[in-house]
Amino acid sequence: MKLTNSMAYESAEEMIFGTAKKPVRTKRGVEIGAGLVLPEIITHPRPDSERTIKSLLREFERANGDALERCVLVGHPAIIVENEHVFQMTHNSEWGMEIAAQTGRQIEEYHEKYGLEAAYRSTVADIRKPDMMDMRNSDRTLEVLESFDACAKFADIVSIESMGGKEIFDYCIIRNDISGLLFAQAVLGGRDMEWLWTRIVDITHKNGCLPGGDTDCARANTAMFMAGGFLSKNISHSLAALCRAISVSRTLVAFECGAVGPGKNCAYENPAIKAITGVPISTEGKTSACAHMGLCGNVMAAVCDLWSNEAVEYHNMFGGSTSAVFTEILGYDVAAMNTAIALGYEKEFQSCLVNSDRYRDQQSFILCPDIAWAIGKAVVENNQSLYSRARAAAIKCGELMMGEPRLRFTSFEKESLFDYMKELASLPEDEGDFIDMCLKKYEKVKGFRPASYGL
Amino acid sequence: MSRLAIALDIGTSGIRGQAIDLSSGEILSTAITTRHPLPGANVMDHLHFALELGVETANNILIQAINRVIGALRVKKADVQRLGVCGNPIQLSLFQGIEVRDLAYAGARKLKLLGIVPPSRKAAIIPAKAILGLNLPKDCDVVIPPAVRHEVGADAMAMMIQTGVLEREETAMATDFGTNAEVALFHDGAIFTGSTAAGPALEGQQITCGMLAVPGAVSDLEPAEDYHRLVVLDREMFPVPGSVVDLREKRSMGEADGTRPIGITGTGVIALISQAMEAGLIALPRINTPDGRLHLGRDIFLTEGDLREAGKAIGAVRAGHITLCCEAGITPADIRIAYMSGASGTYVDAIKAQKLGMIPPCLERVYQVGNTSLAMAGDLACKPKTLNMMADLGDRLKKSHCMFAASKIFQKIFILELSHWNEGMPMTQYRRFMNKYGLPNLPQVSGRPEVIRTVKRDINDLGKMGLTIITDIGRKIGLQVEGCDSCKQCVRECPEKAISMKADTDPITLILDESLCNGVACRRCERVCPEKVFQLDRFFRHASAGHDARPGTSPCRYSE
Amino acid sequence: MKFITETSGIFTRYDINVEVGRKEPRKISEDELLQKVADCLISGDEEEMETTIRQALRDREPMEVINKGLLRGMREVSRLWDEGVYFLPQVILSSDAMIAGIALCEKKMGKTMEKKGRVITHTAEGDIHDIGQVIVNALLSAAGFEVINLGADVPVDVLVEACKVHKPLMVTGTALMTTTMTAFPKIAMRLKRLGLEIPFVCGGGAVNEEYVTSFDLGIWGKEASQAVGMAEDALNGLGWMEMRAKWNG
Repeated sequence: MKLTNSMAYESAEEMIFGTAKKPVRTKRGVEIGAGLVLPEIITHPRPDSERTIKSLLREFERANGDALERCVLVGHPAIIVENEHVFQMTHNSEWGMEIAAQTGRQIEEYHEKYGLEAAYRSTVADIRKPDMMDMRNSDRTLEVLESFDACAKFADIVSIESMGGKEIFDYCIIRNDISGLLFAQAVLGGRDMEWLWTRIVDITHKNGCLPGGDTDCARANTAMFMAGGFLSKNISHSLAALCRAISVSRTLVAFECGAVGPGKNCAYENPAIKAITGVPISTEGKTSACAHMGLCGNVMAAVCDLWSNEAVEYHNMFGGSTSAVFTEILGYDVAAMNTAIALGYEKEFQSCLVNSDRYRDQQSFILCPDIAWAIGKAVVENNQSLYSRARAAAIKCGELMMGEPRLRFTSFEKESLFDYMKELASLPEDEGDFIDMCLKKYEKVKGFRPASYGL
Repeated sequence: MSRLAIALDIGTSGIRGQAIDLSSGEILSTAITTRHPLPGANVMDHLHFALELGVETANNILIQAINRVIGALRVKKADVQRLGVCGNPIQLSLFQGIEVRDLAYAGARKLKLLGIVPPSRKAAIIPAKAILGLNLPKDCDVVIPPAVRHEVGADAMAMMIQTGVLEREETAMATDFGTNAEVALFHDGAIFTGSTAAGPALEGQQITCGMLAVPGAVSDLEPAEDYHRLVVLDREMFPVPGSVVDLREKRSMGEADGTRPIGITGTGVIALISQAMEAGLIALPRINTPDGRLHLGRDIFLTEGDLREAGKAIGAVRAGHITLCCEAGITPADIRIAYMSGASGTYVDAIKAQKLGMIPPCLERVYQVGNTSLAMAGDLACKPKTLNMMADLGDRLKKSHCMFAASKIFQKIFILELSHWNEGMPMTQYRRFMNKYGLPNLPQVSGRPEVIRTVKRDINDLGKMGLTIITDIGRKIGLQVEGCDSCKQCVRECPEKAISMKADTDPITLILDESLCNGVACRRCERVCPEKVFQLDRFFRHASAGHDARPGTSPCRYSE
Repeated sequence: MKFITETSGIFTRYDINVEVGRKEPRKISEDELLQKVADCLISGDEEEMETTIRQALRDREPMEVINKGLLRGMREVSRLWDEGVYFLPQVILSSDAMIAGIALCEKKMGKTMEKKGRVITHTAEGDIHDIGQVIVNALLSAAGFEVINLGADVPVDVLVEACKVHKPLMVTGTALMTTTMTAFPKIAMRLKRLGLEIPFVCGGGAVNEEYVTSFDLGIWGKEASQAVGMAEDALNGLGWMEMRAKWNG
């Protein structure tokens, strides 16, 4: 695999919501990144509905149908419907497939009846457990690949939230061990993705389906959740920001293996991915408050192509089901952005989105288009290895945070960032040396199998 | 037959004796006990016992134990011409059976109130017959060294004499680490002494998983890449590498090899704190681990409470050092040589101890000198003239002894220490306050001193007849307890496992091992008894009241 | 892209505001001299305090200087201590400065001010290790209690007599030596016999919870810093049994 050495965008100024350098068109004809922002709604089935395929089909029929219906009721022109697999949908590949087929039929019905432009994304669950099995050679590995094959037949886009490196990440995050996070995310996660995505891309090509992208959800988002809001002190926000910068090296691998976008919504690292690759991306912000608190509510929309809601469990609200309600919200957000584009105010609108969160928190700061671009630049300029580009991204990210006087730190945050930077600077230059060091350091971590990553 | 001498060191944690051939000066045999025969965890407990049960009782128990040690030396008692003893003033007074109440109370008002006339405790040579029950020839000389103050005695002088520090013209700080840390500063021909109540934490007591140095105790900790390797005392009390642990978590890394650790000694506590600070796991007064504890494997841990206790002890020592510097008109940076003695002072990793502030910060050399009392006792037994030298030294020390408890300087520094260890006051602020108070600057630790261990083990020469270890020095007192319903709560409650029960008598018989018992300051057995029939003092009185408590002859003494 | 400098209408960093507000002494008075009195107290500057108090007393009532300058300043010191900004030595300096300040005000008034309540402190008979007591005295004074400091090596009789005369809210005893702590149960028994059911807080290196709670009136004081909370409880009418239940066990 060749590591990317150039930026798709010359500068962050070029980057805008709704337009990607490399737009895509799904098998159902929906164009993404071609000038307009589209909403992407994700609904989760209620607990217990996964007991039988029948009850699960029924649940998704309602949830996805409600979304499509609401688009028509309020006049949203287009939508992407996404389902993230529950365990059973991947474990039994025909379950995921039947749901994809059913949703495909619903979308086609709405298209025929009303002309609604819609597409379906199926996100396979990564049911491989890094601490319990060989990631490359287990029954679960086969099930994951089978599921891709089955779903790609009916879905427009497939994605995954891959799990490589999660065992070391979890071990290191509670130990405040940034070297270990670098190892888990970039070295292990990146290697796992390279193995996995080469296979995913092959499968999708056979089925005329878009290989969307991956996300560092299992790691960088864990750090984000743990960092919490302004009153939580479990782990520092600076560390969560550095994890995000590191994740760029890893999430980029999917695109280096042939993924074309749209990037997965919960990959908060996507602005940097778009800057490097030019693929369309899905993002989420204030609209994901239903799933988790966030400090990047508006800024995440600045360069998005799809605007999403993380995931909301299917329930009834006063205004209808959650699926319908969030579709309506997302659609209006998108309508405002597309209006700005139509009026030629898109840069002004983007400026509002960015300035709303730029100095709110370290994490929102580093996802502003200009900073995300600079982090991306550090990645492509240090492309000797997955490790070297991740370390460079983290160091760049730290420097940019420290160098911005308007970004305010508590003393805890300031001290911890200083310590991380010291540690990052002290690490070996060469990936081989770093891997040797880490293999020794983490050999006794429960369930860690270097062979899962070809080490 | 040759003429013999016996050297006897009466220490708080045990008695040690050696037989010496007077004509050749050769050591013949050695005998030690693993405990002190009196109930109690420290010397104050021994003293407390004597106050409550009478000096005579305490003296009697001690002399019987000493007789056993002398017996275990396996030499002809009739040939013994001289006995040299050494120990702290309390132990020596209990040995002589003289007034001890003046040692028990530091306040002059109380002493006056009780009409106590402190004995002189001058150097003396008395005949053996003057010490009731001592199993030696009547005319055998007993050489008793002097005491300076109640906290500074022959043991402290032994350290000064045996290490040769008196002869060298250096500015040096000597510290004997124990429940009371005795400190002495040598500067420009003067000696400044003091004693700080460090508390028992440095001996592993008052620490949740703490213990005295016994087989299975963790005595040190070394970094092992990202983790730490335990150093555990093996069956012969040699420190050996143990398993690798993750201080953050309750688990061992891989298979435990070597001796299974059962607790942590004072030196282990110091090593642990120092290592955890280096690993960033301590932000005073907190421990930065998920459960606020530092773990040494599955069963052993250090709590934040333990950290505070240890901090107070370390702080008291540092406050003592700085106070003496003020007395001498120098600063801690002027001290280039340190001597460390006492079990903790000898076996602790001096570099780790320095990082925590237990010895001055800018040293060139550290000597870890072991227990010098036995050697001192040997000198007294062989060369009685040594006694004159000790007497002179004693007079010299009296002139410049500092009572820390009455020193405003000590008080100010100790409050800074408390704030540092208990409240997390940073050392930068500590130094600012020192400056504000007009006290000397306390520099940061700089350089790495050369560490010289003058002893390989506690007693260098065991003699040609070898060593005898007496593990059962305590009297085992059986008492039939009226009203006891054998609930065994006392047996379970005892922190030292000193109580056992014999249920086949009526009333039931409870058996107390006096040497294991923590003494009259503990009394947890008494308090836990639901029937309120357990009376600790009855055991002590029963054994002493008219009974001959000598081994094997007393009806009250049970053997295992 | 344009970047804004003023974000106050957009978001609020509560954490930073709290941190900044926490670490700095707050303004306590609009009156310049009273603020200066408080400043002297907060910085523990006893010399400057005396000059400032004299100035303030020129055209203010002594009680106003005490209530609006000294006591409010002391509350700020307590807050800074609670927040971990101040440490014990600073509290002791402030406490000394406050005592000096109050003394000047009392002199002007010609009488002593009414305190919250009276606490007798002592270090056990035979013991001279009184650092714990020194800290307790400073903290209680700082909290506005009248401290009757009997000092160290205090005979049982002297303490009992003082309790009879002063009828304190609470008595404290410190002992470092196990040999001297035996005075505490004797004191407790004597007080009980006299019908003086005064909460008797015992602390110091020698004593532990089991020992202190083995006799009536006894409440174990783990840390010197608990003394104020305990005295407040006694002031609010809690008896020794309630206090023991709250602070021990």
